[in-house]
Amino acid sequence: MYRRWLWIPALVCACLSWAACDEKLSTVAGPTPALEPTFSSIQHDIFESTDSSGRAACINCHTNVGRNPSGGLNLVHDLAYDQIVNMASARKAGAVRIVPGDPDSSYLVQKLEGKAGIVGVRMPQNGPPYLTDGQMQIIRRWVQIGAPRN
Amino acid sequence: MKRLLTLVLGTVLFASSAALAQTPSDDPAALKLAEPDFALIGLPTNLRLPKFGSSFRVTHRFTCPLNEDNAASDLFGIDCGAQIGLEFRFGILPNTQIGIHRTSNKTIELFSEYSVLRQSAGRVLDVSAWFSIEGTNNFQDSYSPAIGAIVSRTIGDVAAIYVHPIYVNNTSDQPAELVDDNSSFMVGVGARIRILPTVYITGEVAPRTGYKGAAAGSTQDAVTHASFAIEKRAGGHLFQLNFSNSFGTTMAQIARGGPVGNDWYLGFNISRKFF
Repeated sequence: MYRRWLWIPALVCACLSWAACDEKLSTVAGPTPALEPTFSSIQHDIFESTDSSGRAACINCHTNVGRNPSGGLNLVHDLAYDQIVNMASARKAGAVRIVPGDPDSSYLVQKLEGKAGIVGVRMPQNGPPYLTDGQMQIIRRWVQIGAPRN
Repeated sequence: MKRLLTLVLGTVLFASSAALAQTPSDDPAALKLAEPDFALIGLPTNLRLPKFGSSFRVTHRFTCPLNEDNAASDLFGIDCGAQIGLEFRFGILPNTQIGIHRTSNKTIELFSEYSVLRQSAGRVLDVSAWFSIEGTNNFQDSYSPAIGAIVSRTIGDVAAIYVHPIYVNNTSDQPAELVDDNSSFMVGVGARIRILPTVYITGEVAPRTGYKGAAAGSTQDAVTHASFAIEKRAGGHLFQLNFSNSFGTTMAQIARGGPVGNDWYLGFNISRKFF
């Protein structure tokens, strides 16, 4: 009598055991497999590193080490967060580099995606390669969750 | 939505008392006039499959919306591509069926359905348990298990009403780090009404909480899956012409909803029973 019901909990367990089998973030992150939607990860993997696709690190130009930062944007360690979050663009009047919670309105996102209306060229300046859709998805997610200093 | 609820309510209220007094046959191989197929449009029904019986179904959803400007020149979407699903189900034990459904976006869903309660003189409802798991990229990437129930009431040979409380885990096909909620609970509501001896009209909606999909090109939630259809039974076949605001035919796809708010798409289902 009870045996006919046993397969139900067995199947439930089998189904729920698959719950942990989510798609890995690294499959989205592409050439920066360790990239996560955190500021420290974006700083390390995007701002400060050249990735395996050949995309240049941002701090090649956006640094005050031995030069003036391009576009008035300095992305060196310990300065980058305060340079982008809720900071007005030096090039485009009225634009804010990162608007927490609103990736579409964030000028940095627009520059990286080459949206219409940006001043100057799409970043990185010597691209392609540019950031991949997956890399941008992760950056957008960090902005969307409020651009925390994490 | 309001029209569908009115339709369902109207059917319940105006069904004759003689029809209400009838109870469905207990033979799973017998034709159930009010429940002729194993699915409404995307959501499952309580129709039992005889032991060692089987059924095959093709689902087809054209991907150009009916309400675009040049819809007529695309023959209402028929000139466009489509999301196609192939499904096979098999009765492994009495009251128990398993099946596989693959859609052309490389999603494979494995499912099982167990008939727990049968509508009879003493029971007002049919209840089945539903378990499924689907995986994207040919069952290699993102897995979405679903567990729930199919609750229905047939009204004589005239109509059947369905409620599907279903929990879908890991609904998003994106990594959990990129979405707020990654699971959904939906309550599908549907009905099938026999308007002529072999002709039916069918409708279903699947409102949900938790992860609600993402509308194309925006950060907005996707729209709630809704669909209606007209269908013709011919022997063991059921031919269905449907109109949907999403392409979903698996549980996670239905929970993700439709891509754009006001777009509706033409589609069809064809099913065949082998018993």
